[in-house]
This record gives sequence, structure tokens and C-alpha cells, in this order.
Amino acid sequence: MRRSQKITLALIAALILLAIYGLYPSIVFHSMSYEEKAALENTDPQKFRSLRDKALRLGLDLRGGMHIVLEVEKPETGSTSDVQERALEIIRNRIDKIGVTEPLIQKSGTNRIVVDLPGFTDIDQAKKLIGETAQLQFKLTLSPEEAQSYLLKIDSALASAMKASPSDSKAAEKSGSEIDTTAKAIMDMFKQDTSKQTAEQGADEETEHPFTSLIDENTGVAFGIPMTDYEEARRLLERPEVKAVLPSDVQLSWATRPYYRGDRAYQALYFLRNRVEMSGEHLVDAQPSFDQFRRPIVRFDLDKKGASRFGALTGANIGKPLAIVLDDRVESAPEIRSRIRESGQIELGGNASWDDARLLAVVLKAGALPSKVKIIQNSVIGPSLGQDSINKGRVASLIGLLLVMAFMIFYYRLSGAIADIALIINLLLILAFMIIPGIDATLTMPGIAGIILTMGMAVDSNVLIFERIREELRTGKTVRASIDAGYSRALLTIIDSHVTTLITALFLFMFGTGPIKGFAVTLSVGIALSLFTAFFLTKLVFDIRKQYKTLSI
Amino acid sequence: MIELIKNPKLNFVGVRRYAFILSGFFLAIGILAFIMVLSGKANLGIDFSGGAMLRGNFESPVSINDLRSALAAEGLTDAEIQAITGDNIPPNSFVIRTKGEGIAADSSLADAITARLHKRFVGNQFHLDSIDDIGGAVGRTLKSQARLAVLLSMIGILIYIWIRFDFRFGVAATVATFHDILAVLGIYYLLNKEISLLLVTALLTIAGYSLTDTVVVFDRIRENLKQFRKRGDFAGTVNLSINEVLSRTLIVSGTTLMAITSLLVFGGPVLRDFALALLLGVIIGTYSSWFVASPIVVEWEIRKPRRFK
Repeated sequence: MRRSQKITLALIAALILLAIYGLYPSIVFHSMSYEEKAALENTDPQKFRSLRDKALRLGLDLRGGMHIVLEVEKPETGSTSDVQERALEIIRNRIDKIGVTEPLIQKSGTNRIVVDLPGFTDIDQAKKLIGETAQLQFKLTLSPEEAQSYLLKIDSALASAMKASPSDSKAAEKSGSEIDTTAKAIMDMFKQDTSKQTAEQGADEETEHPFTSLIDENTGVAFGIPMTDYEEARRLLERPEVKAVLPSDVQLSWATRPYYRGDRAYQALYFLRNRVEMSGEHLVDAQPSFDQFRRPIVRFDLDKKGASRFGALTGANIGKPLAIVLDDRVESAPEIRSRIRESGQIELGGNASWDDARLLAVVLKAGALPSKVKIIQNSVIGPSLGQDSINKGRVASLIGLLLVMAFMIFYYRLSGAIADIALIINLLLILAFMIIPGIDATLTMPGIAGIILTMGMAVDSNVLIFERIREELRTGKTVRASIDAGYSRALLTIIDSHVTTLITALFLFMFGTGPIKGFAVTLSVGIALSLFTAFFLTKLVFDIRKQYKTLSI
Repeated sequence: MIELIKNPKLNFVGVRRYAFILSGFFLAIGILAFIMVLSGKANLGIDFSGGAMLRGNFESPVSINDLRSALAAEGLTDAEIQAITGDNIPPNSFVIRTKGEGIAADSSLADAITARLHKRFVGNQFHLDSIDDIGGAVGRTLKSQARLAVLLSMIGILIYIWIRFDFRFGVAATVATFHDILAVLGIYYLLNKEISLLLVTALLTIAGYSLTDTVVVFDRIRENLKQFRKRGDFAGTVNLSINEVLSRTLIVSGTTLMAITSLLVFGGPVLRDFALALLLGVIIGTYSSWFVASPIVVEWEIRKPRRFK
């Protein structure tokens, strides 16, 4: 074996190992039944989420869920895209509130919005989500000291609840909490870098401070919880013990969207006074703009009634943050600098971009979800139907694969077996390609069809090569010369003939809807990889031996 | 060495006149189907026409006739009803399909149908497994997108073949590809099967596959034409080329058909029509590379001979 061959072989082996490593969570996750998944989600939510996030994403047609297309009508004043953006913002907000995992909400054209809700099948609730009028409100926040005192209460309530019923949390099996040390622990936590804590301390932390241990940052106005712990934190706050601790005039609200520190995403939790200081109907207009330092701001105008109310509110609370709340989610909480009457401006802080200002203006104007939004497409797939499709797809691909493999061995003997190995590696790499971070393709039922079709077509490259080798052998060439000639002569044909399929797949991808995009992806990736496996993998196997007396082909 | 056909010497080019008759028939039904699709008279899927499709099951048995008359009594006379059975499908399952503008501002067709079923079959709950409710506007968008995808694919392929081969081969390959697409479309029209987005996807896949076959043959023709001067027989060269790559064509069509058949038989109802279109497409695509694409090149050469370098 030559050195270059060894390197190629090592690279291919590394690629295969990497693919298996990457696909391992998918294999574990997707081989679990619906009930097993639900059970794991209950007993070990952390593990469940990490598995789910690493596993191959399934399309709505396979996992069940809802696909909605909305259309906004052209308003009498203003532009359609403005209404579209407002509607998008409001819907995103509401969907996040009901806690659908991995929702997809995007604009389509200038007047449509596409919403994909995996695992969500409640049509009535979806209609409510979209049809209801949005509530824009201004609310005051609690002082940092007051917020912290509630955090302590939440923690101790949760800790004792977990101690009482250890099944709720594995962590609760360890020693119970002592309330008097909790206060100190929280103060410590904000001082020291939490990442320096040892695992042991971390476990104790979780037991005694089930909620505050999730908090990474105190911004003074809100508490930052890493996105990875967001679901857990929400689950904890939903518990009745937490609701019991909070007085009726205090409300916990999440931010509308995560913020970033470096590349880590955080979700902010606000403690708000329940009282609505002013509602959005008094806002006449809001526009993004720049201040004299060219920093983005939002200017807004209030009506007469709003002006007097806002004047009183801002005058009495200078220096305090005022939360802009859309549908119970905090959009932002700027500090009140001075008394504001008819018109004011909101500074967005150092890192804000023009887009942030534009978005905030959109939200401020969103006092009401534009009434001219209607559902124009609605597809719901029940989870059992999706599971049925998965099972059928699995059987069909397995039988197709076995048929093709058996035929190749029957017809080409040992060479056919080599082509079969290449085919299996090809399939492995298609799936591995789909979970590459950043590509994150979705597997759909037509996508499975694409994989099955690829299995039939992927052997094409090797068949072309093998037939060519046979032809060369018939002309009386040596085995070695035939192999080399077979590969070099088949190369151009193979590339020429497969580019056409790639062209059609490209346009299918550009114009297709979700499931069909999935087909285009698996088919084109499969074809491209079949070229790779034919010219690097099977070639390598044939090249390992320099001289052949006979060839099993 | 196992060989399908030892040293084949089939006369493909010789029988081209007969093949043209069959191909002409395919083209005719295809064009007819295409006109019907454009004028909206074909059996369009609800993704193109707008409408609603529901899949669900009743708790206790209901006959199709009862279901039909119940819907008709509620004014839904044109609803298509189909009972479905299978391993994992709950008993008393039905698919109900109806076309029209589909979902409207605040009431949807699917809702209307479920409400009526609940009203008519009191005490026999109807459980929904899936809903597809598509407004006419979405249908129109999908239709125009499908048209654009087909058009651009064809242009892209024509340009590619033109660059890689020459004008005559490009035209021949494109004609053969159109022939295949139209043939499958025509057969679907004659069988009164639904012309849906999934069928368009299948048609484009067929276009890609059929061209792969054609290009392999053309590639060999091009290679053999280098010795053309010595032999001086264009039609013979073309026929020889087809025969030389015959076993490859048959084997790849065979393995592809094996995979598609598996999909057709085991893949479930969602993809059945899709798999059937692919199956037809692979067979017709193989046929067309022998009997449409290559003969066109031969006819062209006979009428307007060129000198080959």
C-alpha cells in the first residue's frame, strides 16, 4: 500500500467514524417509541432535550404537527410588509409562550407568513393564537432587592416541595435545604463565576436552589438564564408552589427573544408589577430614528389621554425601568430618564442596531394584531400518522437496500460486494450530512423516498465503471490496466450524466415546499456522495493490490 | 462473469419508425393532459386547486354510502370519500376530499366537514388523523412555482447538454426528456390520477433520471464517432453505442426499479402515486434513450449530414 493510499484510507475511516459518532444520538432517539420518549422527558428532561437536539430533525409529516400559512391583506394606510412584520412579531411571541419546540415562523413573499409547529395539533388553540388581539402594555418592574427576595422564596418553596416528593427531581434525593443559608448562597452566586464551581457543589446548588442555580446573570432589571436551561426554568415556574409564593400584584414575565453574550444565548426573566400603567392603544405612531450620536432610537407619539397618563407615570418614576410588554412578554425595559408627555424617544443601548430599533417600533405600533390576517392554509398531521410513515419508510428502504445489494453481489460478485459497502457508507454519509450543524436539514417522507431512489441510482457510478472494466478485459488487457482504464474512461460519463439530476434537484429545492425540499436534499446529496464513494472508496479498494491475476467482477 | 446479454447486437435504430408511432402516442396524450391541466379540467390535487382533505376514523362502523349521503345532505355533494385499511390504520378510517376555495377568513372547509360529521353521527365520534386545508390563493402560488421549477429545470438541462455536447444532441436529449415527462403526465391523466405537487416532483426527478440514461448513450456515441470516418456508417455507430452500454442501462434501470418497487409496495399510501410515477418514468426514460433521443440524432444526420472530425 502506498503512503497516499494509507492517508486516503485513514481519512475515509475518520469520516465514517465521525458520521457514526454524529448519528449516534439520532439512532438512540429515533429508535425509541413515542411512549419511551415521553417517559424519558419526564424522568430526565435534560437528557431528553440533549438527545432531541442532537438527533436528526424530522419534518412535520413524520413527527406530526401543524403547518399554517397566513395572509395579511393590504391595509388602507401603510404598507403590507409593515403589517406582515407586525403580525410575524406577535405570532412569534405567542408561539413561544405556549412552548412549542423548534417552531418555524417566517415570511413568505410580501404578504404571507408560514408557521410550522412540530408536535402541535390543537387547531382551536392555534386559531386563538393567531386571531386574538395583541395586548401592548406598559408596566413597572420590581426593584432588584424586591425581585431577589422573591427569588429566595421561590427557591425555598421549590426545594421543600422537591424534598417532599423526591420523584420530582433526582437532585432532591440529596440533603435537604436550610433556608437561612440560602440568602447567603444567592449573594455569593452573583459574586463568583459560577462556571468555577465544581460538579459536587453544582449538585448541592441544584438541590438547595433549584431555581436560582439556573440563573447566570443579574442585569439589574432582569435575570439571565442560559437558553439551554430555559425549558427547565419555565417548567419550574409553572409549578403551583411558585404561584403560591407570589402576591397577586407581582408577575413573572420572560423576554420576547433571547439576548447574547458572546455566542451564548440567554433568556431574561423580569419581575413586573401587575398593574397596567398604560395600554398600547394610546400610541399613535412609532418610528425608528437616530439620535445626535447616530445611535438608533425609537421615537413615539401618544394621543391626548395617553400623554396625560404617561406624563404622570414617567414623572413619578424617573430613574426606574419601564417594561414594554407585548402579550405578557417583555419586549424591552428602558429606564425612564425624564417626564414624557406627547412624544418621547427610547434609547436602545450600546449594541443595538437599526434593525432592533425598527423591530421595537413595529412592536409599539402593534397595539392590535392587524385584523386583516387570515389563515389560507392549514395542514395538521397527527403524531400516530407520522409514526406510521416512519415505520413504512424504514421497511421500504430496508427492503429496497437488500434487493439492490443482493443483485449487485449476484451480478458482480466480489466487486459487487465492494460496491455494496460503498452504498452503505453512502447512506450513512447522507444522513450524517443532514445533521451537520448549520445545515440542519429536515428528514421528510419524500426525503426518505429520495434516499430510497438514491440507493437504486447510486450504484450507477460503480455499474458504469464495472461495465467499462469488463469491456476493457474483453479486449485482452491485463486486469490492472483494465481497472485503470475503466475508472478513467468512466469518470467523464459519470459526471456528465449526474449533473442533470443535480440541476433538477436544485430547482426543486428552490421552488419546493418543505417536504419536497427534503426530497431534493436527500436525492442531490445522495447522488453527489455516490460520485465520491465510487472514485475514492471503491477505487481505493481496487488499488490496494497492485497486480491481479483474476478479478471477481 | 454473469452477463444479461452476451455481446448484444439488437437493432434499435432500425425499428425507429415503429417506435416513433408509440412515442407520438405518448406525446399526444401528454400534450392533451398538459392542456387539460392548464385549463383546469384535469384532476388537480388540492395543493393546486385549493380544497380540503381530511383523514380520520369513526368509533363504530359507518358505510361509505351513509357517509356520502350525510355529507350530501349538508350540501357537500362533490366530496370524494375513500375508505382506507391497513396494518397501522385504525378501523373505520376514511379519507374525505373536497375541492374549492378551501379555507376562508374565519371558517375552513375542514372545520365545516368535521362539524357536519359530528352533527350527523351523534354518538359515533369522528377522530381526525390529519387535515389539509388549502386556500385557492396558496394553490395558485404553488401552481406557478411548479411551472417555474419545471421551466427552469428544462432550460438548465438544455444549456448543460448544449455545452457538453452540441446543438443536435442537446435538442434530441431535451425532446426525449419532454417526451418522458409528457408520457407519465398523460398516463396519469388517462388513469384519472391526481396531478399534485408530488407528481411534479416525480416528473422532474424522471427528467433527471432519463437524461442520465440519455447522456450515457450519447457519451458512447461521441466516443465512437471518433472512429466514424473509418466506418462511415452513422446509424450503425449509434446502434453499436446503444448496444455497448446496453447492460449498464438495463442494470441501473433494474436496481432503480427494485428500489422504487420497494417504495411502491411498502412505502404506504402517502407516496404510492409518487412511486408509481417514478416507476413509469424509469421505464419510459430507458425506452426514450434508445428509441427517441438516439433516433432523432440519426434522422437529423440522414437529412443534413455533417462531417465529423
